[in-house]
Amino acid sequence: MSTASVEVVYRGIFQKTMAKNICRGVVLAARKEGKIGIAFGRYSDSPERNGIPAKQFAVVSDSEEELEEHLSRYEPDNNDVTIVADDTLCKGVESWAWYGLQPINKLLGDGGTLVVTSTQSANKLIKTIHRKGSPYDLAIVKAAASFSGLWVYKDDHTDVRLLGALAKVAPHIVSLDSITKAISEQWKDESKVASAMKAYDMVESTPVGADQGSDAEPFSFSMPGWTKMEEGLVIRGIDQKPQEVPGWDGGYVPSRNPTFKKFSTRTMRPVINFDTCTKCTLCWLSCPDTCFDITPDGFYDANMEACCGCGVCEAVCPVAECVTMVNEEAFEDNDSQWEMWTKDTAGYAAWLTEKIADKPTRSHGFHHVGQYAEEIADESR
Amino acid sequence: MSPAKATAVKRVEATGGPSGETEELISGSEAIAHVCRLADVDVITAYPIRPYDTVMQCVSQMISNGDFDCEFIVAESEHSQFEIVKHASAVGARVFCGSSGVGWFYAFEALAVTAGLRLPMVAMVGNRALDDPGAFGVEHNDALAVRDLGWMLAWVSTAQEALDTALIAYRVAEDPRVFLPCAISCDGAFLTHSQAIVNVPSQEMVDGFLPPYDRAEKQLHPDNPITIAPQANEDWLMEMRRQNDMAARRARDVIIEAYEDFGAKFGRGGEPFIERYMMEDAEVALVGMGTLAMPVKVAVRKMREQGKKVGFTRVRWFRPFPTQELQDALGGTKAVAVIDRDYSFGSTFYSGTLTNELRSALYPLESRPKIVSTIAGLGGREVTADNVIEIAGMAFDVAEGGDVSEEDTYWIGVRE
Amino acid sequence: MAEADVQNLEDFLATQVLDPWKGPKKVPAEEYFTSGHRTCQGCESAQLMKLMAKAGGPRSIVLGATGCMYVANTTYYSTPWQIPWMHTQLGSTGSAATGTAAGLRALMRKGKMKKEPINVIAVCGDGGGVDMGLSAISAALQHTQYNLLILLYDNESYANTDIQVSGSSPYGANTTFSTPGKARRIMHRRWKKNTAAMLAAGHPECKYVATVCTAYPVEAMNSVRKALSIGGPTFIHSLDPCPKGWDYDPKYSHELGEIAVETGIWPLYEVEDGKLKMYGRSKRIVSGQFKRRPVREYLERQGRFAHFTDEDIEFFQAKTDEMWEKWLLPGVIPFAEA
Repeated sequence: MSTASVEVVYRGIFQKTMAKNICRGVVLAARKEGKIGIAFGRYSDSPERNGIPAKQFAVVSDSEEELEEHLSRYEPDNNDVTIVADDTLCKGVESWAWYGLQPINKLLGDGGTLVVTSTQSANKLIKTIHRKGSPYDLAIVKAAASFSGLWVYKDDHTDVRLLGALAKVAPHIVSLDSITKAISEQWKDESKVASAMKAYDMVESTPVGADQGSDAEPFSFSMPGWTKMEEGLVIRGIDQKPQEVPGWDGGYVPSRNPTFKKFSTRTMRPVINFDTCTKCTLCWLSCPDTCFDITPDGFYDANMEACCGCGVCEAVCPVAECVTMVNEEAFEDNDSQWEMWTKDTAGYAAWLTEKIADKPTRSHGFHHVGQYAEEIADESR
Repeated sequence: MSPAKATAVKRVEATGGPSGETEELISGSEAIAHVCRLADVDVITAYPIRPYDTVMQCVSQMISNGDFDCEFIVAESEHSQFEIVKHASAVGARVFCGSSGVGWFYAFEALAVTAGLRLPMVAMVGNRALDDPGAFGVEHNDALAVRDLGWMLAWVSTAQEALDTALIAYRVAEDPRVFLPCAISCDGAFLTHSQAIVNVPSQEMVDGFLPPYDRAEKQLHPDNPITIAPQANEDWLMEMRRQNDMAARRARDVIIEAYEDFGAKFGRGGEPFIERYMMEDAEVALVGMGTLAMPVKVAVRKMREQGKKVGFTRVRWFRPFPTQELQDALGGTKAVAVIDRDYSFGSTFYSGTLTNELRSALYPLESRPKIVSTIAGLGGREVTADNVIEIAGMAFDVAEGGDVSEEDTYWIGVRE
Repeated sequence: MAEADVQNLEDFLATQVLDPWKGPKKVPAEEYFTSGHRTCQGCESAQLMKLMAKAGGPRSIVLGATGCMYVANTTYYSTPWQIPWMHTQLGSTGSAATGTAAGLRALMRKGKMKKEPINVIAVCGDGGGVDMGLSAISAALQHTQYNLLILLYDNESYANTDIQVSGSSPYGANTTFSTPGKARRIMHRRWKKNTAAMLAAGHPECKYVATVCTAYPVEAMNSVRKALSIGGPTFIHSLDPCPKGWDYDPKYSHELGEIAVETGIWPLYEVEDGKLKMYGRSKRIVSGQFKRRPVREYLERQGRFAHFTDEDIEFFQAKTDEMWEKWLLPGVIPFAEA
């Protein structure tokens, strides 16, 4: 193989610097082997938005001529490795750059490797990933998703650990030796080199069969051509009539845009304790995504097709633990919590307790000056 | 085809044209202001810059005299001036606007989006040299700058033609097959600050020619809650541009229809797109736009008296560009001399824009005339009949294989 | 003729009567801005759009200048709007509102469109409103014959184009055009423009100018309703915490708005028919019933100020103190009496 490409799928803004470090690291390491390459972000993802899935790429070739065909492309589509910087992206990504939900392994070439940072088991992750139809490997770097900000980077070595893992799963792109040399030159920090080497040793690969994975059909949108599009740059607005949902008479479910759902942005979702809810309206009133449906009995039910998991509802709720943000990986569907609660109040209470208890820490980025240094100290302890 | 002779002997009837018209001594700007009144334009925005502002002075006076009713807004810049009417047009209002020179350029962003949004604004450009040094006189570079954007562009040579073209412009621009803006170029000074006898039609005549503006399902209104111009990237741009390309193509037939109907109802209007003057047996043709027509026609008559087979083809519409008409009119000649009242520094053979477009239009012809590229009359400098005779002489020279080069551009009437 | 004309003009100044909602539980269910937008998690400007659409109701037209609320908020086939919306150019907020209002008025006046009061709302970010579009907004506020609202959603940078400094960015903020470096820590040395007060002071015929913050949603909606009811051109300036450009966890969007008000950095006031009314915490700051929180509590929560030294924070505090202790009208109009 004379040209190889690495795709990095990450959370916009929060992981932008990390993705850039990885892609640059690949190209600079490949350079040590006399190869030539480019690192780039998918142009249509930019300007990035917080949490919205985005991509960056590294393409390396043996010669400039071989590289040329990649120099004017937005998105390589037959990647040797797809790095997934946050395991909640495994459910599929809906980004700026296309319409519909793209399975996380869609642009991974046959026999390629999906490298995911996760604290979950391979078997659990595979269940959330769409079935590819051809075999590939799943490699897990044991780590929580590293979210930092735009201006303050959380340098917890996740970037170099992923580079170390890459050298293990795809030595034909870059060797560990080249990776460590590049890291050493770039950061002048031997502890980062050590982190990369450790990840090289620790990364575990699992073969994934062609038929393994989720059989859910990713939602899609078929783009009309110019004879079907309205002229004058006109599109129809969203229907002003609320949706008619069986069992919701007397409630209010606003009509929503069917082409962009935004839920793949979510890394945490609010779970609501309807037993303690006082119907104060603040979650509903403060949601920037208009995601709360009003139930027939006057509760506010976060619609999981529209919620992007910002956490404002939890922050504004005046009742302790009435709204709790829980790791998105704990959920397998986007079903209504209120419907679940009305069907089986006791069952819902048990479900709620379990979801809240099983709550691996997830961060949304910057909280205060000095925070990342404290977190890194905690993590290394 | 209009017979060359008939055009040559045309006289303005003392009693005006068809019954219902009145005769007025007015400028081209004032003639267009009358169209605003007769078309019952809803929103007009003004901002001062010479020389187009004469149209707005007239509009303002008509409103204050109670002759005309519209929302008349004096904006705080040309950018706002064009943006205001752009948005008024989107809610279904008939609009009028205009500018000159760098004022037109200050509005450039608005000009681009107006065409992109398919809003049928009609604007007057009082053609003026670009700054610096702030000359007031005519150059065509201002209006020509929007030639790639979807604007329809007409150049007129008389105040009467300004009036007639403005009426036709509303009809074409607001045709749902087109929905593109149209600018009518009037040479600064000669049309904006000079008065001539003009037949002004009656309201009934105009109502019989110009239907109301109906934006239908594209109208921005609470009864039609649409989203207009949401942001789009490479997934959609080609399709959107292609739609506008088709609209610009369709404009051609709509213009032809409009001239036919205008001719039937008003008894004038002439051939759409171009005017042919003594072209029937012409071996050498002069080509130009706007008020250049006057000295050119004088020169053509003088040369005809000397037995020279020379004619004149005036480009009336630059967008859509009359490719077929020009091929037809000029295909049989031996040489064409183009008089550009504009420049395109560093372009092919250093020609002006009209020459470059024309050269491209004639390229597919099996037997192509030779082309002499000239630039004259910049900044409003007078182009005299003698200048034109000199230019025609160059065309005869090139036709006979003389020293004049097809691969250069000649500046006429410039001091060395 | 003249008198009839005047009467005619008066008729067309009628507005919708939008009474204030007395508390969050009185806010109606109907939404006119839902989903489809691709804004950041915790985007307070999207939240403001939702509140604005709700407050204005179905007989409204919205014009959106280039900015996040265009590029991220309203994309092809991904519109969140249930009410008519149209893009306008970055510097055209005032012109878009004026043109739309003028078009409607002309058509209704001439009997070409059914006569009814339709809300015209034009929105812009700080790039569109505080920088490029200021001139057109000023002009729009002079045309008292048109009913329109200009709503400025201020997230304190050109966040849409990747966070560049604007005339509304706070002193010292890290943006992609004012990134602190080895030689210079503070690249952005301009003090934030006092936009709402400038427009109120400069346009005495404008009946309503207000500042709002999305952290107080009912107040923000009622401000929009008042602006649309009062007649003529009106202006509202909203401070919208921006998790992307300010660099903070999106869940704090609401809280940072509150802190901005409580530190005195963002004063809440209305200028209605020429009368200034402070409201909320800002009113209590002026009356001495609420002690301003130190600006440090605001600055240290945001990555854009993470490079600040104590000296920078003290400078910021001193400038903020000046607003409340030295200004002619505290928090609103600068200059003291000579």
